[in-house]
Amino acid sequence: MSLVNPTSRSKASSKPSARRAETARIYAHPLPIIFPEPTYTFLGLSLTRPLNPHCTALLDPITRSAWVENSGDAAILWQRGFFGKGDLSRSEPSWLARQINARKMKGKGLTSEEITAKRRAERKQFKLDRAKAMAAAAAEAEVAFKEEGRVIAPGIAPDGTRIIPSAATWKPTSISVPSEESPPDDTPDELREEIEPIQDLEHLQLSLQEAFFLVWALDCLTVLHPETNEPLTLAEIWNAFQNAHMSSLAPLLALPPPRFDNPFLVSYIAYHHYRSLGWVVKSGVKFCVDYLLYKRGPVFQHAEFAIVVIPVYEDPQDQANSPFKLQNAEPFTWSWLSTINRVNSQVQKTLILSYITIPAESRVPSKVLSSPACFAHYSVREVVLRRFIPARMRD
Amino acid sequence: MQNHPSYAVLGQVLAKYPASGGALFQVYNDLTLAQRWSDIQILDLTACGRAAIKGKRPTTDTDQGPSTCVVVPCSLSESISTSWLRAAFTSLEPSPTEIYVAITTEDTSTVYYKISQGIVKPPV
Repeated sequence: MSLVNPTSRSKASSKPSARRAETARIYAHPLPIIFPEPTYTFLGLSLTRPLNPHCTALLDPITRSAWVENSGDAAILWQRGFFGKGDLSRSEPSWLARQINARKMKGKGLTSEEITAKRRAERKQFKLDRAKAMAAAAAEAEVAFKEEGRVIAPGIAPDGTRIIPSAATWKPTSISVPSEESPPDDTPDELREEIEPIQDLEHLQLSLQEAFFLVWALDCLTVLHPETNEPLTLAEIWNAFQNAHMSSLAPLLALPPPRFDNPFLVSYIAYHHYRSLGWVVKSGVKFCVDYLLYKRGPVFQHAEFAIVVIPVYEDPQDQANSPFKLQNAEPFTWSWLSTINRVNSQVQKTLILSYITIPAESRVPSKVLSSPACFAHYSVREVVLRRFIPARMRD
Repeated sequence: MQNHPSYAVLGQVLAKYPASGGALFQVYNDLTLAQRWSDIQILDLTACGRAAIKGKRPTTDTDQGPSTCVVVPCSLSESISTSWLRAAFTSLEPSPTEIYVAITTEDTSTVYYKISQGIVKPPV
C-alpha cells in the first residue's frame, strides 16, 4: 500500500487480492488519454471526445529532460502509462511523502524505498543470526567430538529440530515499527501546524524520448521554453531535442545540422517502436541495457525483456564523419555480450538486441530531417538472445 | 533549473563545466535530499573536467560513525577510461583509498560504483 496514494480502507487493503484490485483501480488507464464509453453514436461512430489531461512540462537542456513540476500532472502521467520518474525516488515521486513520514515517525504506511530499506536491514540481521548459530553449532560439535568422541550433526538438536535459522523460519526479534493503533488524527494536525510545511523539491522527470512521445504521438503534453516559459511549437521541440545532444554551446532553438544519427533520433525510434506495440518502456541502466519492457507496468510484474539498442550505419562513411559517438555502434566483443546476457539471465530477463538501421546521407535527402517524417527511413530489427547449454536443455 | 535551490550552490561550477552539469546536478540532489549525506563539499577536479562531491555518508550500523566518501558524477553517454579514474585519484588531496563513480541517466536513475586502487579483498 503506497504512502503517496493512501486509501481510507486500511483493513481490507492488507489482503493480496484487495491490494491487486486497488492497484488495478489506480493504474487502470494505459495511456494519459482516456476514451470514455460512447454515449452517442451516429452511424456507428462515437461522438464523445477523448479526455485529454493536457499536461505541461518545462524543458531543461542541461539534464536533457523535461520536468513536470505540477504534482497533479505528474500523478496523471505516472498512473496512466508510467511515464517519467521522480528525480529523488525510485519510481513515482514520493520524496515529500517520505519526508513527512520521517517527521511524523509513525511509520504506519511506508513508501517503496522505506520498505526496501527495512527488508535489507532484516536480511542483514538474519544473516548475522544465522552465522552466529552456525558458529555455535560447529563449536558444540567440536566439543562433543573432542570430549566424548561422539559425532553429532551440527545443525540438528537432539530432538530433531533445526537450530540454524532458515529464511523461511526466522522472525525479526525487534519490531522497529510499533504496530499498535495510532492516536486519533488531531495529533498529526497539531504537528503540522507547529512545523513549517516542507517545500516539495522533487519533480517528475521525463526523458526527451518520453516527452516527445507524449507531445507528438499522443498530443497530451505541452513543453515550455526554459527561460521564457512560452509553449514551444512542434517544430521548435523537434529542433531543441536534437540540439540537446550537440555540444552545450549550441543555442536551444537553432536549426541543428541535419544528421540521421543524432542520439535523440536513434533512441526515440526504439522507444516509439516498443511503446506503439503496447509495452511500457523504462530505462534499463540498472541491468546494463538501454531499455526494459514491461507488459503492464513496473507495479505489476518485473520486466520481461531487456533491450540493447545497436545502431547500424547503412553507409560507413557517415560513421567516420559523425560528430556523435553512438554507443554500441562499433562491433562488440564476446565478453561484453556474455556479460550483459549473464546479468540479465540472472534476473530472469530475456536479452533482445535491437538493431536500428541509420539511413545513408547519400541515398536519402537530408531535408526529410526537418520533420518526424524521417522516421519512415529507419528500420528496427530484433535479435533475441538466450544462452544454450546442450547438456541441460534437452527439451 | 535556475529556480531550484541547489542551483544557488552549483551555479558557478555548472557554468565552468557545462558538459557534466546535468550529472553533477542530479547526483548533488540525490546525495543531499534523498540519501541525506551531511557535510557536503564541492571539489574541483580539473584533470577530469568536472566537479566532485565529498560528504559524510550516513550508516545504519550503530557502531560505525558516518564515513567520508568522494563521489565523481558522470553521465551514461560519456566514455571514461582508466587514466581518467587514475586522474581522479591523484587530483584529490589526500588521495582516497576508494571513490564512488555515480553514473546518471536522463530519466534520473543513478547507479553508484565503488572504485578502489588495486585489488581489494572483499569484507568477510
